[in-house]
Amino acid sequence: MPMMKDEKLIRSRAVVARVVGGETLVVPVRARVGDLASIYSFNGTGTLIWSLLDSPKSISEISAAVSQKYEVAPEQAEHDVMEFVGEMKGVGLVEVAAGMEMTGD
Amino acid sequence: MEQLTYGAFSADLHQRHSGQRVPLQVSIEVTRRCPLECLHCYNNLPMSDADARRRELSKDEHFRILDELVEMGCFWVLYTGGEIFARRDFLEIYTYAKEKGFLVTLFTNGTIMTEEIADYLAEWPPFAIEITLYGRTRETYEALTAIPGSYDRCLRGIRLLQERKLPLKLKTVATSVNKHEVLAMRQFAEQELGVEFKMDGQINPRIDCSQSPLAVRLSPEELVALDMSAPKGVSEYRRLAKHDLESPPGLSHTDTVYFCGGGMKTFAINAYGEMGICVISQKETFSVRGAGTKRVWEESLLELRTRKRTQVTKCVECRIKSLCGMCPANGELENGDRESPVEFLCHAAHLRAAVIGSEVPEHGECDFCAGGSRYEEVVESARRIVTKEINVESWSGPAQVLPILNNPAAATAGCSSCGSH
Repeated sequence: MPMMKDEKLIRSRAVVARVVGGETLVVPVRARVGDLASIYSFNGTGTLIWSLLDSPKSISEISAAVSQKYEVAPEQAEHDVMEFVGEMKGVGLVEVAAGMEMTGD
Repeated sequence: MEQLTYGAFSADLHQRHSGQRVPLQVSIEVTRRCPLECLHCYNNLPMSDADARRRELSKDEHFRILDELVEMGCFWVLYTGGEIFARRDFLEIYTYAKEKGFLVTLFTNGTIMTEEIADYLAEWPPFAIEITLYGRTRETYEALTAIPGSYDRCLRGIRLLQERKLPLKLKTVATSVNKHEVLAMRQFAEQELGVEFKMDGQINPRIDCSQSPLAVRLSPEELVALDMSAPKGVSEYRRLAKHDLESPPGLSHTDTVYFCGGGMKTFAINAYGEMGICVISQKETFSVRGAGTKRVWEESLLELRTRKRTQVTKCVECRIKSLCGMCPANGELENGDRESPVEFLCHAAHLRAAVIGSEVPEHGECDFCAGGSRYEEVVESARRIVTKEINVESWSGPAQVLPILNNPAAATAGCSSCGSH
């Protein structure tokens, strides 16, 4: 299912992040999340996005923060954030925040 | 986002910290109490040992240690015993470790595994879970564990974990009681269950100084015959020997007593909150209860790990270290002296070298080297193994399944002077 720009996302409670040397390492700790035989690592931008997802955030909110911090064009930031967050959502590292699920026809 | 397998992650992390002293991996004993009474065990205590239970770290102390370990950059936690599930609160400790993002390995005998525990582990999967199998028949298994019914309970535990597709591995400790079933245990694990299997034949005296486990230790000849019967046994030892022998002499020399990863990347915390180099090196340990885990790692354990050796033994110049299980912990348990060579291990190492056709360069006064008093014995054993005169496939069970009862000298209790009760 494609992500909506205003859909609020949050970190999955089934993963745990550890920060080592500025790098964020995300470890799946519960069943049915990500690939349990793998660990996921993010660079600086990924670490910023991960920290923002500590509380429910939309793609638009995250993109604005990334655009401001890294001084990139809003469109470029939104494109990159959509791709990155989509990847995370695909393996279950982030989920739609409770009570924020979109309903549609 | 980069997705790494655990193997790649581990290799990367170790590479990044190459040459540095970083506490990446800890072994934590949660208890020494165990429902089994294995003849070969180095630390087990009865389930009813109230004193042991009273001295154990509390759940909250475990939580605090885990908090400190996160700060220290530790990633891997191995929980061992005793039997880890002998503690009713173990799953709470385990869950706390998982929630902190540790990669947790569990060592268990599987005999008190229940559907509830297995379901819980399926929801919160460990990095790995290893069950020790003591025999492939009830008679043999229970001859070693001394507990009726334990074989069936172990098989049930294995089944419960397998049904839930948990990352199970099986292993065994080869002894004079179960040596004839090692191949059957391997077949059961690898062929029937499709899980990894490993065998360890290294048996030490108990940490309370009792020599009783040695009553069921294999002879060096039996141990090496079993080693070489494993798939890739010969080729793996050849690879290790080649690496050792082609390395420049002196490369593996150290001026410290300890030369392993213990105290460098790995360390242990025993059931009573004392940090040591590893779970079997218990002669000198340091309480983390008062000082805190980080401070003990940075001060007391560092001092122990960097302590200079005081003797030049035959081990220092040895060029076949990879074929030998000798380490300071073994010296400590077997001889009461970390630097003193363990003759059993030296014998087995020279026999492995002889079986794979490697010449052992001179390394000081050694009975097992050419010209030594036991050299001919090594050569003859090697011949018997190579020609299959010793055929592990034809081994049968021991005439007496409880040799310890017939060997009062070996069955002495611990000295109780070392503080390990």
